[in-house]
Amino acid sequence: MELAGVLNYLVGFFIMVGIYGIFSLGLNVQWGFTGLFNAGIAGFFALGAYTTALLTTPAPDAAQVEDFIFGGNLAGLPYLDWGIDFWFILSLAAVALVCGIVAYAVGRLTLRLSGDYLAIATLGIAEAVRLMFLNEKWIANGSKGLYRIPEFLGDLVSPANYDYLFLVVVLVVLALLYLAVQRVVNSPWGRVLRAIREDEVAAQSSGKDVYSFKLQAFILGGIIMGIGGALYAHHVRFISPITFDPLLATFVIWAMLMVGGSGNNRGALLGAFVVWGIWSGTQFLPWFFADPNFRFFMIGVLIVGVILIRPGGILGETRRVSRVVGASSHTPVKEGGNPKE
Amino acid sequence: MAVPTPILEVRDLVKDFGGVRALDHCTLDIEPGHITGIIGPNGAGKTTLFNVVSGAMRPTGGSIAFYGRRIEGWGMHRTFGLGLVRTFQIPREMQRMTVMENLMLVPAQQMGEKLWASWFRPGRVAQDEDRISTQARDVLEMLTLSHLADEYAGNLSGGQKKLLELGRTLMAEPRMVLLDEPGAGVNRTLLRNISKSILLASAERNVTFAIIEHDMGFVMAMCDQIIVMANGAVIAKGTPTEIQNNPLVMEAYLGGLNRGSP
Ligand SMILES: Nc1ncnc2c1ncn2[C@@H]1O[C@H](COP(=O)(O)OP(=O)(O)OP(=O)(O)O)[C@@H](O)[C@H]1O
Ligand SMILES: [Mg+2]
Repeated sequence: MELAGVLNYLVGFFIMVGIYGIFSLGLNVQWGFTGLFNAGIAGFFALGAYTTALLTTPAPDAAQVEDFIFGGNLAGLPYLDWGIDFWFILSLAAVALVCGIVAYAVGRLTLRLSGDYLAIATLGIAEAVRLMFLNEKWIANGSKGLYRIPEFLGDLVSPANYDYLFLVVVLVVLALLYLAVQRVVNSPWGRVLRAIREDEVAAQSSGKDVYSFKLQAFILGGIIMGIGGALYAHHVRFISPITFDPLLATFVIWAMLMVGGSGNNRGALLGAFVVWGIWSGTQFLPWFFADPNFRFFMIGVLIVGVILIRPGGILGETRRVSRVVGASSHTPVKEGGNPKE
Repeated sequence: MAVPTPILEVRDLVKDFGGVRALDHCTLDIEPGHITGIIGPNGAGKTTLFNVVSGAMRPTGGSIAFYGRRIEGWGMHRTFGLGLVRTFQIPREMQRMTVMENLMLVPAQQMGEKLWASWFRPGRVAQDEDRISTQARDVLEMLTLSHLADEYAGNLSGGQKKLLELGRTLMAEPRMVLLDEPGAGVNRTLLRNISKSILLASAERNVTFAIIEHDMGFVMAMCDQIIVMANGAVIAKGTPTEIQNNPLVMEAYLGGLNRGSP
């Protein structure tokens, strides 16, 4: 490959790492800090992607239409013609709203019950969302999906170089989300979440409204995942129900968080890089090694390896040393220092 | 002088676990400002009483009033909000959080517990945190745990965990504290510290205490009221001297022992 080809590959690679980093960050809020088991990340991924696509995408060619009435493309309506770039930003807000409402509803139903219910409900929601977009063709063109999802700021650069620009967009969104999450998990809000993760009863006896905090964490995580889904849609520019297959839209994200380090936001991002690196790197292997099943198997091996060698993930959670005593000795948890081992 | 209105009124409280009746029409009053000891043989229902009163468990029947307010069936975070705080017989600490964090978690109404404040009012949040961390350091000092401030709570010894339990109640601003065997597994010197901090909180902050404890020396020295429980009900109540001279009490303990051996 010549240099330009390599560069193009790397840009595409890091766009995906950035997008998956966002999912991983969202899961970290739910699982890493609060202990909420979301088995249906794909549901929020899909809701985010479809919401933005429906708001911004022009209607498909007649020949490609299954039974598409709703049409979306609000950006194309004359009186809402504020330009696609403005609509992109507006649609991110809509994504946040939709995912927030769905997370709220799922949380309302399950977060007072034991954790198993949340796992089952999220699994069910993800499947329900996928089947809804598949079978209710009038919503989003069924199995043929939505394509030609527009590019954000696409007028600024030539199509050949667009990915460079989009990489910047993804990194900016990722950085903003990272900083936002960092701030709240390091504040007393995050302390309550970790207390709930450690011992719900003790958190309650310390006067914390456990249900309310769980709900907040679940909603925040769901919104973050939805935004990841929206960026994915504008990057790949084609979505259909197959896109939100549980392996690539839920399992891989769990793998990222486990490998990188649950309870550590930098770990979540590192995990996205490592796992996506393995996933996309292995496609260049010869013959059957490039088979997707074998590549998933490799990720499975990686998870097992990390769990055996570093149970907390590559970076793992760091101990929060109080400020007065030793602000300088902010050391990662040593293996022997983890009380759960 | 009028008889003081009880801070806690428990009436006919019943709690069943399947076939086991852990509380059997338990009725008692606790007066404000007192340190009340609750004693009784193993399995008498003392811990269950605390569980139901604090809201960790729903009663099968009966009523609980705290400052005249009916609280049976409330969750623990709500009874905490009224100033009713409890510890656990088997300590429940947040293992992978430091001792300091375990304490700083407790105070209610923290600014930084609100998402929006954490994002948009970091100054106020930091101010709050400074105040709370100073308070936590004072508590640690009193409990002689200062050197463990940044240790994971899960790594503490059994006795140290009991102290941390007590520390959590001191971080709250409670009106009433329920302590379940605060002295179990704690050495003599520390036990004296615990006694001191209880007496201090009682005298200076007018906190009402109810303490479950098997250590009779501790109970007789600390408490001005003693309630004796057996088989889920109250069988005697009085001052330490009255209790020591009560034949029923002796019998309950011996009876309890006899039941256990063939
Ligand atoms: N969660 C539970 N499930 C089933 N049975 C329980 C439960 N908690 C308590 N019990 C039963 O209720 C009875 C009273 O137990 P409780 O723990 O209240 O006794 P206790 O007075 O605190 O005893 P100890 O002095 O040994 O701590 C016992 O027979 C116990 O087995
Ligand atoms: Mg007990």
